[in-house]
Amino acid sequence: MDEQKRVLVADDSETVTTVLVTALELEGYAVDTAGNGVEAYEKGIEGGYDLVILDQLMPGMLGLEIIDRWQQEGHMIQTIMLSGVDDERTVVNSFESGAVDFIRKPFRLPELLARVRQRLPD
Amino acid sequence: MNATTIGLIAVVIVFVVDIVLLLGLVLVKAFHRKRTERHALRRAGYVATLSRHLASNQHSDRIGEAAADDDAFIDAVIDLRNVVSGGEIETLTGLVDGLGVVKRQEAKLRSRFPLGRRLRAAVSLAEIGDETTAPVLIEHLSDREPEIRIQCARGLGRMQHTAGIDAILERLGIEDPWVRVRFADTLIGFGAKATWPLAAYIRVNLGHDENRGVIEAIRVLGTIGDREIGPVLSGVLRVASDPEVQLAAIEALGFVGGPMAIPPLDHALRSPDWRLRAKAATALGHIGDPSVNRALAARLEDENWWVRRNSAAALGSLPRGDQVLLATMRSADQSAREAAAEALADIGTLTAARLRDEAGVASHEDVLLLEYVIAGDRMMV
Repeated sequence: MDEQKRVLVADDSETVTTVLVTALELEGYAVDTAGNGVEAYEKGIEGGYDLVILDQLMPGMLGLEIIDRWQQEGHMIQTIMLSGVDDERTVVNSFESGAVDFIRKPFRLPELLARVRQRLPD
Repeated sequence: MNATTIGLIAVVIVFVVDIVLLLGLVLVKAFHRKRTERHALRRAGYVATLSRHLASNQHSDRIGEAAADDDAFIDAVIDLRNVVSGGEIETLTGLVDGLGVVKRQEAKLRSRFPLGRRLRAAVSLAEIGDETTAPVLIEHLSDREPEIRIQCARGLGRMQHTAGIDAILERLGIEDPWVRVRFADTLIGFGAKATWPLAAYIRVNLGHDENRGVIEAIRVLGTIGDREIGPVLSGVLRVASDPEVQLAAIEALGFVGGPMAIPPLDHALRSPDWRLRAKAATALGHIGDPSVNRALAARLEDENWWVRRNSAAALGSLPRGDQVLLATMRSADQSAREAAAEALADIGTLTAARLRDEAGVASHEDVLLLEYVIAGDRMMV
């Protein structure tokens, strides 16, 4: 990778962020984290990330709420939604809100990394 | 030594003892906090190391053998198992096997004491145990400690170990009530696999041990919801003499649903026991088949308030049931009208009637309903 791509991982579970940060750093990405919805919303605007991996259920703000607000405020942030709730409505709402992908928890790491690579080509 | 001196000495002794106890308490709390913090730090460290293993299979970080005895390591493994799936679970299982974690936890569970360590081992095995652990978990379904028995049942449910179903059922009738409920909950986790063992258990045990296990088994069948079990529940309803069993069977038939559940519930709707009639009305409402609307409408004039109320509520949830309730507003039976009005209000018909009335497009039924409610309000005033 010529220029290191920047990824924000937003999840209130430290285990999830540790796994994702470790895997994404090994892939060569520069990774930052947010542990709650408000932090994710603010970092997403200020950080200039190439991709945000956003948990749906976080304290402070829900993932869908965050994407909606980014969209309303004109911030075009490429987001992959991560959720333990995989009912049809959550998945459809995620895509309708502007998420580029939806990944269910628990996730397969190689599949998640492949989806990230697809969104962040060299 | 006079009384004043003795009193003074006693006060000083009490004061010193209090101070010592307080200091002891502070020290114990500080020790516990420190231990919790150290546990959290070790757990986070293990999560990071294991994450590197998962992200890159040839990772060089060795996990020392001491980890096998460390609760923080087991907690980290459990955390990660809830986050990742597929090949990563196999990698974690390989790491856990390589360190002999499961065998060590089995040995701890088999030891005589302390309880905390044995319980911790049971929880760990329930979470990370594999098929080879199942016989140990089955063995400890009769452990002297109820919480350990529950964890073992939970573990068997998690690993969907089929032999565990009969082992859990064997204890259903003899367990303490709160353990019995937890055992039954683990059986729900087996899903349709547990349907026929539960049916066999009910056939054998109906009428024995005050039906303690049977009632719980029927509840489990209702929650699993396998429609093929309808005839078995119907048979239980027909032959059981214990009203508690009959009530459980009616409720389960309502959850299981399907056309085969309707005739026995329709029959129960005419039972001499008002509890069965009321429960059958609710169960028919759950099934959602409007072919029972007429039978439920007849029960709106039942002598018992609960039966009228449940029948009206069931009609409120059934297709075209609101039409039956609206028609009942013209009934000569005041109790039936009361039940219907309450159900209509619950399903929002009352609000809709008010809105239509305000808009000047109220139907005859809207007017009847509103007049009835207004008259009721006046009576309340």
